[in-house]
Amino acid sequence: MSAVLGISGTYHDAAAALVVDGHVVAAIQEERLSRHKNDPRLPFHAAEACLAYAGLAAAALDRVVFYEQPFDKLERVLVSTLEVFPRSLRQFPRAMASQLGDKLWVMDQLAERLGVDRAKVTAVEHHRAHAASALFVSPYERAAVLTVDGVGESVSTGLWRGDGRELTPLGRIEYPHSLGLLYAGLTAYLGFEVNEGEYKVMGLAAYGEPRFRDELAKLIRVEPDGWFELDLSYFGKLANADLGFGPKLEGLLGPRRPPYAPWDLSTERDQRYADIAATLQLVTEETLLALAREAQRRTGFDALCLAGGVALNAVANARLAKEAGFRRVFVQPAAGDAGGALGAAILGALELGDPRPGPLTTAALGLPADAAAAMALAGELGFSVKRSDDIHTVIAERITRGEIIALCTGRFEWGPRALGQRSILADPRDPDSRERLNRAIKRREPFRPFAPAVLADAAARYFPGAPDDMTPFMTTVCPCPDQAFAAVRHVDGTARVQTVTTATPALYAILEAMRAQSGHPVVLNTSFNGAGEPIIASEVDALAFLLSHPIDGLVVDDVLITKRPG
Amino acid sequence: MTTLVRLVTPLVWRVPGHGARKLFGFARAEQGSRIDLLQAARLTTSLGRRAQYLRHAADETRHAALFARRSTELRTDAGKAGYGPPIADTEDLFERLGEVRFLAFVHRGEARGRRQFEVYAQHFASRGDVRTEQLFRGILADEARHEDYTRTLLVELTGSEEAARTELRRAALWEAWRTWRRAGRAIAGLVFALAMSVVYLVAAPPTALVSRLGRGRTRRQRRQRYLSL
Repeated sequence: MSAVLGISGTYHDAAAALVVDGHVVAAIQEERLSRHKNDPRLPFHAAEACLAYAGLAAAALDRVVFYEQPFDKLERVLVSTLEVFPRSLRQFPRAMASQLGDKLWVMDQLAERLGVDRAKVTAVEHHRAHAASALFVSPYERAAVLTVDGVGESVSTGLWRGDGRELTPLGRIEYPHSLGLLYAGLTAYLGFEVNEGEYKVMGLAAYGEPRFRDELAKLIRVEPDGWFELDLSYFGKLANADLGFGPKLEGLLGPRRPPYAPWDLSTERDQRYADIAATLQLVTEETLLALAREAQRRTGFDALCLAGGVALNAVANARLAKEAGFRRVFVQPAAGDAGGALGAAILGALELGDPRPGPLTTAALGLPADAAAAMALAGELGFSVKRSDDIHTVIAERITRGEIIALCTGRFEWGPRALGQRSILADPRDPDSRERLNRAIKRREPFRPFAPAVLADAAARYFPGAPDDMTPFMTTVCPCPDQAFAAVRHVDGTARVQTVTTATPALYAILEAMRAQSGHPVVLNTSFNGAGEPIIASEVDALAFLLSHPIDGLVVDDVLITKRPG
Repeated sequence: MTTLVRLVTPLVWRVPGHGARKLFGFARAEQGSRIDLLQAARLTTSLGRRAQYLRHAADETRHAALFARRSTELRTDAGKAGYGPPIADTEDLFERLGEVRFLAFVHRGEARGRRQFEVYAQHFASRGDVRTEQLFRGILADEARHEDYTRTLLVELTGSEEAARTELRRAALWEAWRTWRRAGRAIAGLVFALAMSVVYLVAAPPTALVSRLGRGRTRRQRRQRYLSL
């Protein structure tokens, strides 16, 4: 039996995960504690928080596992920049400064900062860590596993056979041929920030028509067996890491959209960008489908696990569940690079002889909120504070009245989605709530949808197809035929639904109260954060949010805090 | 310092595009300060100071939004899109410096900001740019309040005016040391970039040549690695 700490970081979205005796005890993204969105720095705050939660000292760790092989990565960076001479002249010194100055010594840094014997610090392959993060917390004993992201050390796409404690690689596609980089390049072209704006492209796609298929066919050629190649002449990634695409892409698709320009989809110009987003989404879905069908053909299994940044594409995941030939599909909540920490920890634990962890039933793997501390601080700030024995009914009443309530309860979530521990809740039938959320609190682009949470036992009534293995973690979409739920229904008639069971006790109780009051156990659930900020972690962050944003109330466990009395 | 700012201000704000860029820089600085204050609020042991840091952080949030909005307005007037949300880097100052030195650092920053913003407000008043003048005037009042409360807390924590002044001098020394180190890093970065450029010019041409010659073979190998491992 052992204690293993998994670490991801140095590129984007660093995280730490702790597995003790084969159980996932804690998993935390660094951004939640540093308050720096997508914080890439080595996650020492997160690592210390995981250890503190478990009551372990670093010296008690049997192993620390980093999610990537630093020397393999250096080799790929060296070769890939040198071979595109002379276009990479400006990039090469920067890449070397980053690799040689910092990333290559990551395992020594971990040993030194954590106070762990250097011999206990090891590394696993990036895509193996992704595959492990999906398979070993899935509900499946045996599954095909597909890992798709920008790039790990040198692999961008991996097909795996997962059986019990074993992960066997079946095939791989190597950098620079990468679906993640295709999506990232076009994300930048559409004026969004890479590694942050990809889900905005997904939301935008629903407003467009995929009429640029011929153009995108020039960017990526996909074989029927899922193997694909990019035409690299369109991508600046190798020569210009900041931009992600080259001038030839603008020659093909027209000028790029200026970053941060306000969106107006009634204009021909922005509608054209929406059409490009729609085509990109379609091409991504079709490529993933081809890869998944090939994985099914090679393994013969009826379940699929997905991981890697591309696996956060909920719309594509829904198509995979329907069309790839699998009976069940699972995507864990932190499918991106942060999730690599979880995979690394589990691989370390399995190697030390621990059992495979049980299926993940909740994403609440972070630090808990402290209601007593919140009460004291709220009092000091002059807020109205009320403790309630029936707080969930109070929340449901307020939401039904059209109020917007922020919820900070239990341990915060693992992954980019708020799943009822750090959520802002509103009435899903009230378009005014959505408008107020967008305008005054979230300040998001007008095309981005809000998501619903629904009791699992009633989900099929509102969202046909739900629940499935992905809906507890909001990693897929379902049809939303009832137009009454206007605030959570996307323009294409779908919703990124979360199904809720007693594994998420507070949200479950709120939804039960909603059912009793309105007849509908459905609520609008969006992440508890301001524009450009990480999701709230502690009650202190929550009160800071209340100070700066016009929400109607904040609930920390069983305490209701409002700016005004009453 | 204030005299220098006073002399340079009329020149630098007239550079086309500079105003929007500078205001956005202030937005980022306020955002960075907000993150540091949130960390201070989480880590301080005093409930009263925690509340004060949170109120200060809320002010910084508002300032960041105001600066970013004005920056976007100026960019829009010039026919350009704004710079987006002000994302800041942070240095974990509270954790690194401890509460007393952190307060001294914040106090110095607020005092510097107030002096600078007073000059800017006067400058924009003289130019008849009422919107930007009011922006600075509105924020000035907050900066003065922040300057006062951090000074009060500093005296409270150190035990005397004399000890507070000593901490302020130490904070000034630390800032100077940080500037020196940053300059050193920048120079080292330049030297490293030069050395790597030489390495690149020597190593890259043969690598690129070998890569181009073997392109057909590597494509077959890549396909093979997909079909079976």
